[in-house]
Amino acid sequence: MLLAPVDYYRPDDLQGAISALDTPGARVLAGGQSLISILKLRAASVDLLVDISRLEELRGIDVADDGSVHIGAGVTYDEMATSGALAGVHAKLCHVAAETVDAQVRNRGTFGGNLCHNDPINNFPPYVVAVGATLHARGPDGDRDIGADEFFTGYFTNSLEPGEILTGVTLPALAGRGVGFQEVEIGEAAARAVAVIGIDNGTISSAQLALGCLPVPTRLPAVEQALVGSDPTAGNVTAATATAGEGIDPVGDADASPEYRIAMAPVVAKRAVMEAIEEGGRHG
Amino acid sequence: MADPGASIQEIEITVNGEAVARTVSSRQLLIHFLRDELGLRGPKIGCDTGHCGACTVSFGGKTIKSCMMLAAQADGAEIETAEALASPGGDLSELQESFRANHALQCGYCTSGVLMSARFLLERNPSPSDEEVREGIRGNICRCTGYVNIVKAIGAIGREEVSA
Amino acid sequence: MTAPAQKTIEAPTFVGQSMPRKEDERLLKAQGSFVDDEGMHRMGYAHYVRSPYAHAKIVSIDTSKAEAMPGVIATLTGDEVKAMTEPLFQFAPRANGQQVVEYLLGVDVVRFQGEAVAIVMAETREAARDAAEAVEVVYEPLPVLIDGVAAAEPSAPVLHESLGDNIAWKGLFDWGDIDLALENADHVVKIDKLHFHRYSSTPIECNAVLVNWDPGTDMIRVVSNNQFPMFGALVIAPSMGVGIDQLDFVSQDIGGGFGIKINSYTHIGVLALLSRKAGRPVKWTEYRTEHHQSAGHGNERTFTDIEVPVTADGTILGFKMKAFDDAGAYLHYEPLGAVIWSQVVPGPYKLKHVQVDYTETLTNKCPAVPNRGYSRMQHIWFVERIVDIVAHELGFDPVELRKKNYVQPEDYPYTTPNGCIYDSGDLPTALDKVLEMIDYEGARERQKQAEGSGKRIGIGIGTTLDSGTNNFGQSRILNPELPFSGNGEACTAMLDLYGEIMLKLGTNPQGQGHETTAAQVAADILKVSPENIRVWAGFDKSHSTYIGFSGTYASQFAVTGINAVIGAVEKLKSEILMVAAAAFGVSVDDVELANGSARMKDNHEAEIPFIGIANMVFANNATLPHEIATGVSLTCRYVYVPKFEVPDTEKKYGNLTLTYATQTHAAVIELDEETGKVEILDYAIVDDCGKRINPMVVEGQVHGATAHGIGAALKETFEYDEDGQLLNSNFLYYHAATATDVPHLKTDHIESPSPFTGTGAKGMGEGGGAPVHTICSAIQDALSGTDAVVSDSHNPPERVWRMLHAPGERGVTVSSKASDG
Repeated sequence: MLLAPVDYYRPDDLQGAISALDTPGARVLAGGQSLISILKLRAASVDLLVDISRLEELRGIDVADDGSVHIGAGVTYDEMATSGALAGVHAKLCHVAAETVDAQVRNRGTFGGNLCHNDPINNFPPYVVAVGATLHARGPDGDRDIGADEFFTGYFTNSLEPGEILTGVTLPALAGRGVGFQEVEIGEAAARAVAVIGIDNGTISSAQLALGCLPVPTRLPAVEQALVGSDPTAGNVTAATATAGEGIDPVGDADASPEYRIAMAPVVAKRAVMEAIEEGGRHG
Repeated sequence: MADPGASIQEIEITVNGEAVARTVSSRQLLIHFLRDELGLRGPKIGCDTGHCGACTVSFGGKTIKSCMMLAAQADGAEIETAEALASPGGDLSELQESFRANHALQCGYCTSGVLMSARFLLERNPSPSDEEVREGIRGNICRCTGYVNIVKAIGAIGREEVSA
Repeated sequence: MTAPAQKTIEAPTFVGQSMPRKEDERLLKAQGSFVDDEGMHRMGYAHYVRSPYAHAKIVSIDTSKAEAMPGVIATLTGDEVKAMTEPLFQFAPRANGQQVVEYLLGVDVVRFQGEAVAIVMAETREAARDAAEAVEVVYEPLPVLIDGVAAAEPSAPVLHESLGDNIAWKGLFDWGDIDLALENADHVVKIDKLHFHRYSSTPIECNAVLVNWDPGTDMIRVVSNNQFPMFGALVIAPSMGVGIDQLDFVSQDIGGGFGIKINSYTHIGVLALLSRKAGRPVKWTEYRTEHHQSAGHGNERTFTDIEVPVTADGTILGFKMKAFDDAGAYLHYEPLGAVIWSQVVPGPYKLKHVQVDYTETLTNKCPAVPNRGYSRMQHIWFVERIVDIVAHELGFDPVELRKKNYVQPEDYPYTTPNGCIYDSGDLPTALDKVLEMIDYEGARERQKQAEGSGKRIGIGIGTTLDSGTNNFGQSRILNPELPFSGNGEACTAMLDLYGEIMLKLGTNPQGQGHETTAAQVAADILKVSPENIRVWAGFDKSHSTYIGFSGTYASQFAVTGINAVIGAVEKLKSEILMVAAAAFGVSVDDVELANGSARMKDNHEAEIPFIGIANMVFANNATLPHEIATGVSLTCRYVYVPKFEVPDTEKKYGNLTLTYATQTHAAVIELDEETGKVEILDYAIVDDCGKRINPMVVEGQVHGATAHGIGAALKETFEYDEDGQLLNSNFLYYHAATATDVPHLKTDHIESPSPFTGTGAKGMGEGGGAPVHTICSAIQDALSGTDAVVSDSHNPPERVWRMLHAPGERGVTVSSKASDG
């Protein structure tokens, strides 16, 4: 598989990358585990690849005293999966990273690339939306924070401005809340939900739930409200998540129809919430 | 260099212990560099989308799919291919011997990539369970063996059943 | 000289052993030689221009921009090909001469997405691809036909004007008296429709061809991974107007074939023409996306109007049905599939009355080509489905119903309603064994315990036949004029100048270990170690021996290939003994082989090593009696020919296959009611391929075939949208089974030697699609208590989910006579 003619530039630092993106037809190349395929299939036209995969500014997993964690955009899935620091604060994310695609992709693919690419099959977009992460970007005009709920704008698109590069993501502390991550695995996945559930005195005190496998990973406020204040029983969770498929507009493909994906939304939502309840009970 | 008129990059990399410096086309994939420029046969091409793993090589000690990276991105890196597995004298490594003893290959096309993934897995986890082996090689599609004997051959290393 | 048709190996040392393979060392060390590992001086690279439309008129092709690009050497279009070649040979033109007209490249009309209309050759791979994109083709889209059943209707758009309709072949197969059976049966189960889907075993090495049409010698050297080059030669040579003597086929290592690589002959033709035009060698390596769109898919078959007569005691009398096989846009190897299924008409059962109204249609899809289990697995799947549905509908135990209807051990050799002879087997024992391997009773217990949990347990059984060594005479059922019948394979066994033993095969294998098994057989005959035998790797027409059937396909090496080896090596042995006897001045009967020497039976000190034998024949022949020196060559070619007759083409009756290996599979699955996802909890296989030459190699084949079937049953499918766009154009959406998709496979075997092969071995390797049968049966079992009928061979989560949550018409009815009848 051969790419169309393209130029390549590997800047020494982030500022150099931002400057290079000023070139017409320039595009960021990080781990390349999605972009290179697209270029091989000649499904996108790019004139200059700006390789950010070695930039030190994008590396590192740093846990703050309050339990929040900053993950550099250039951190690979494998580095996430094997990070003891991350395991201490977001164990589920480590686990999800460890099961992402396969070993070779994990060794190369990056957290930031996964988010920016926003392929509906990607696993991290619903995670950052569910936990309410903050994404950090730097561009010609300086630094900017973007809420996860505003970052994803559609099928393969995000809200970065031209010239902006995602530098990292801050995940808030879980503070005893449990996380559930559930999917219907067809191909990568046909439906996916991430839940963050807090339990206080035997009652669900907080609920954050996002669906993935959608052009925009979507929080489900109505379901969240129905969960909060209820006892964490299977019956309550099933009832509360029954409407999870309402109003979503998944894309059908060779793997599953939109109808099936809509029907799977309550299933993965329920399972993710139940898992989060269990996880919270175990670690909380 | 096989792409006249193209944008070019100078790269220096170490492949199977040997330093090489070349001028490559910016668009050239690492797999094509290894095969067409260096004449290696270990990494192979089996798909367009990074799913089959036939092109798996070790890149700075970790496995990657060499069809999912530009040659230019490998500048400065240390790369190993399946050619590096046997001893310089030509003796099969313990892992290769286990593949032979357990009939873990048939047509042999995916084998180089599977071996690289297996070696990486065993470096991290010297006695993997069958389930861990399957997870470790799920990025390598083999159409001949149904994976049964591959899992057996890799597991045998951990169980110390092989005498090379 | 005719050697006896049946050979046995006495007191084998190596045959029957699980010996590690001779092939492995080079492959493990990345020293194999696949096509893309090879090159030639002044070689260029080729890239095809392919149609994005499934059906369109080619208005114009303009290559001028491409030709002006740097590094471009030559282009070739369909019109040029048409001007210099004849249409490709068709197996079954109609009596009135109407037939599909196909050239090596698309001409005038494209009929499937990905059809090649032109090709560009350039100095580099990159330049070839860039230039191919610059070829300007103007298309005028035409109505698209993707439904293989609707294609038979008179109202369907016609794909090939030269044919007049979309019927590739049509015929009625009628054995016994199905109408009487239906009338007399206690129950008749009617099923509206069963559908076997399209998929492919998708070898990881795609097609690849390197051709040099040498301007000096006019020889065409073809380095390729085609798995049946002699068939390819028969098709393309007349089209290109060349002699087969001009074609030199070469291959060493081939990265899987599974039947799909039979189909690459068109590329050999195109590349040869391109090489001639350019006056230089040219290499083409297929991209995965091209492979999925155009290299060939397994046959899709729809069965309709099914009626199954059953007696009160559970005897299934036969069946009646219509079959619509979707050949895709062109007939590549097809319509052979329209008769090949009839090797296994009753499946593993004693069904006496069978009527099949068979129609093969043309659609705007990728051509169907043989894929592991070719044409038989579609049919056996159908048979297994009806047996399973009968059990389900009439309340018979699926195990007992199978056992009751199986061909019984004492029935062999068993003649099927259409005259095929099942050579040997023991299906009841195999079934008992495989059920024990999955702990059938325990699984039934688990099934009960799982009730109401949301996870249903299902137990499935799939019995299948792997018919091997087919009688090409069956092609005459399609077209009595065809000059094909029988089968065979060739081998040459030689001593070289210093007495080295060499074997040259015609089989052109793709990982089946022929170098090893051939050496095991030869070693036993020549009383040496397999290590002392060099089996030349791969195939090279310039030195390998071959006949028209030579190749690796249709589960036959253990019979045709091995018997050719035995015949050739026995000839070599007898020549060695003749030379030794002459040297000793004794009778041949007084000489034997041992330890790489010929020696006197009663005086082991008197021995001549093979080097001495070779010396006398090749370089010292004045020491030999002249009649011996001129009577031996130590280059012994043998052609094995199985005993077949030409079938009765009127009655569609005769023995179509020499051997029938059997496989019995059992699976325990868990079905998630909420998602429809099926997980395999336990999987077991009992294989019976008679005598096993290398059990490890046999098991490897069983594993591989099983993985293909499991992939096909749950994950792998080729689907087209209504515009004829393939939705699974590469591994992004074609989910080839990975190590986490295939469970551990428990394997065991029984051994029912074939009485027809001398060695008792049977061909094997295709596996008869058994996992597809087994998993469908397991899903049906898991859905007990619901109305669901498993009617498709492919059951991804959504389809299973729909069976539970959005069931349509059942499509199954049962009519029974009065209960005491």
